[in-house]
Amino acid sequence: MRWLTDPLAVPFMQRALLATLLLAVAAGLLGVWIVLRRLAFFAHAVGTATFPGLVVAGPWGLAPPVAALGAGLGFAGLLSRMTRRGTTSADAATGLLLTAALALGAILASDVYRSGAGVDRLLFGTLLGLSDGDLALAAAAAAAAVLATAAMARTWLATGFDPAGARALGVSAARGDWLLLALLAMTVVAVLPAVGALLVSTLLVVPAATARLLTSSLATLLGAAVAIAALEGVGGLLLAYHLDLPPGPAIAVIGGAGFALAALASRTRAVR
Amino acid sequence: MEILDSGLLQRALLEVVVVGATCGALGVWLLHLHHTYAAESLAHAMLPGLVVAALVGAPLLLGATGGVLAAAALIALAARDTRVGAEVAVGVTVTTAFGLGALLALAPDVPARLGELLFGDLLGTNTTDLLVAGGLAGLVALALVAGHRPLSAAVFDPLAAPSLGVRPGRVELALLALLALAIVAAVQALGNLLVLALIVAPASAGIRLGRSVGGQIALAAGVGALSGLLGLVASAELDVAAGASVALAAIALYVLATLVRPPGPRATGPRRSLVETLSG
Amino acid sequence: MNASAVTADAGAARVEVAGLAAAYGSGDVAVRDVTFTAAGGEAVAVLGPNGGGKTTLFRALLGELPATTGSARAHGTIAYVPQTERSRLDFPVSALDVALMGAYARTPWYRRIAGADRTLARAALQRVGLAERAGTRFGALSGGQRQRALIARALVQDAGIVLLDEPFAGVDRSSEEAVMSILDELRAEGRVLLIATHDIEQARRWDQVLCLSTTQVAYGPPAQTLTTTVLESTYGAEIVVIDGGERAIAVQHHSHSHSS
Repeated sequence: MRWLTDPLAVPFMQRALLATLLLAVAAGLLGVWIVLRRLAFFAHAVGTATFPGLVVAGPWGLAPPVAALGAGLGFAGLLSRMTRRGTTSADAATGLLLTAALALGAILASDVYRSGAGVDRLLFGTLLGLSDGDLALAAAAAAAAVLATAAMARTWLATGFDPAGARALGVSAARGDWLLLALLAMTVVAVLPAVGALLVSTLLVVPAATARLLTSSLATLLGAAVAIAALEGVGGLLLAYHLDLPPGPAIAVIGGAGFALAALASRTRAVR
Repeated sequence: MEILDSGLLQRALLEVVVVGATCGALGVWLLHLHHTYAAESLAHAMLPGLVVAALVGAPLLLGATGGVLAAAALIALAARDTRVGAEVAVGVTVTTAFGLGALLALAPDVPARLGELLFGDLLGTNTTDLLVAGGLAGLVALALVAGHRPLSAAVFDPLAAPSLGVRPGRVELALLALLALAIVAAVQALGNLLVLALIVAPASAGIRLGRSVGGQIALAAGVGALSGLLGLVASAELDVAAGASVALAAIALYVLATLVRPPGPRATGPRRSLVETLSG
Repeated sequence: MNASAVTADAGAARVEVAGLAAAYGSGDVAVRDVTFTAAGGEAVAVLGPNGGGKTTLFRALLGELPATTGSARAHGTIAYVPQTERSRLDFPVSALDVALMGAYARTPWYRRIAGADRTLARAALQRVGLAERAGTRFGALSGGQRQRALIARALVQDAGIVLLDEPFAGVDRSSEEAVMSILDELRAEGRVLLIATHDIEQARRWDQVLCLSTTQVAYGPPAQTLTTTVLESTYGAEIVVIDGGERAIAVQHHSHSHSS
């Protein structure tokens, strides 16, 4: 029990826990749409693409979320440009931009700004030093996810089910899709401090995918994704605290175990 | 060029040119089959193997082989999932494996080699690495020559391929096995995050410029080798990370290729939003 | 070698299907109770709605899908001419490359394609009227030309049995005539043709019609099979009878847009 309660007495852990719970709401809700719209790889790629932005944020005197958002939006914009004509496939374009961002970030970090051990923090997240700004951003992302889900659930469901049909139904697929992307960018930036550029999927994809194994009604799916994200996030924080690790990898391992358990559980249930 | 006087750089150059040509040639088939995600997933998910090798002091190649095999098995298992869809299941698997690798590497009291494993240690290439990478590259090249016709049939026309004596399923499996070999060969030079650059960028350039499959493969191999050369020279001249320079050189050559030959006319049909394009 | 060298192996070609049922992995029976025989020189229209089992029957004949009951036997080399939009239009192969694929099965991996086969491929392209387009990229050909390039590939295979999947879909009028006359020639050479179509007028042109709607509704000459009763049980309510029962058209639902 001490293992669970001791960390709660530490101020920086209190902040980290609060941030994680807020992020669980944002990432859990949005994760459901990411999984339903099959945007898992894109979410991972946007997260990775923020890496060079994070590297230059300090030296350039930018707020990290702003720099990360700039890099992420730059990635999405380039991707949209490259795939618009239909001559470059989305997967190849994503691969090109992803590795370009990583290589650029690596050179900036190791040779231009000599970021040193800070790189691990950018790539895998940190428990320490979550600022008031980070918390505010997490709260804003959570509020935006709740509002957008309430307002857009029908549109996103219709376009996800059948984009051409949705247009015919008079649903504005394009506007809904842009909102989804904007929200995704915001949430990616919000989860970065906690889990790092390489592991945004741990909160944005894994909990929703796990929930998807257990339920298929939208309402339960949304609730379960938030609950799973909160459980796995807090579990990962505690593990990271006790093992002196960045939280990203710890949450990733717990999330993977949760997904495997859910896969096994739902399989045995299906057999019965 | 005086940089070639150093044995260290000679080995690195040979390694990266061989690996670049191989990944470039293989990449053309992977892109035609839309297997970029597979390449990315396999490369990312091998991290625990690399880390364990680094921890116990085993050769990196051994760790890479183990890592790729374990990753391939897990991904194949996940890709069979029909409930959340292959892409999501594979994404979860890759995230978990990658997180596990980082967790092992960042556990305290461990030599901090994570950076090299992620972004490559081209200048650390020793003669054994070079020989093994050369052997694996040769194997991949031979297989590509031998498999040229089955690959053509399987990519162009998977439905009719069986009547032409080609089993598309087996051909794809063989291609993924070659991908695993190429990743093992290239991971020393580029690291598990940047290997993808050598697989995707030269091949994209080759596909843009070549008019036949053979031409595309030859061009991609050339661009891959050239990326290695240019990247290494730039890294030595500017004193920046070698693997990342090679990756950026490959991407720069791709951008050059798109400038030489801009894409054709806009595809017709209803305008699709980015989300629609991404979710296929 | 000249164009006449491209002929069938073929008099003995035969397709025998007896009590066939086949299912996909999901367990849903895709087609059942199919029984018919087609001998060399016969062209069979396989008529039915989407999902009626046309493709499943072809896959069973190609040996890709095992029969759950009964059997589907092809006596003779079998070639498959897919719908052209199913092939990869962005893949950089020329019409000649496509025709040469017909020689893949008989070329060991360590050999180049034999000179004789190259001559054969050129002759086949000549025969389908594509000699001048031999070097053109497959994706740059018109719909009808693509169809003819794929038929040239079947000629190089020297197939006694040719399965064609909707060969007239997306093909303009003049190309349709060209494809039609090639098919007539192939039939005259003693090959078996199986032509999947959902066009009833098209089906009327061939020797036999096999009506499939998950199960076999009818098999026989057009005059006997293309009756209002048969068509109604093939297409369900999606049929419009015009000209006092003389003619009927199937209402096609285009719900298969850009999947697959």
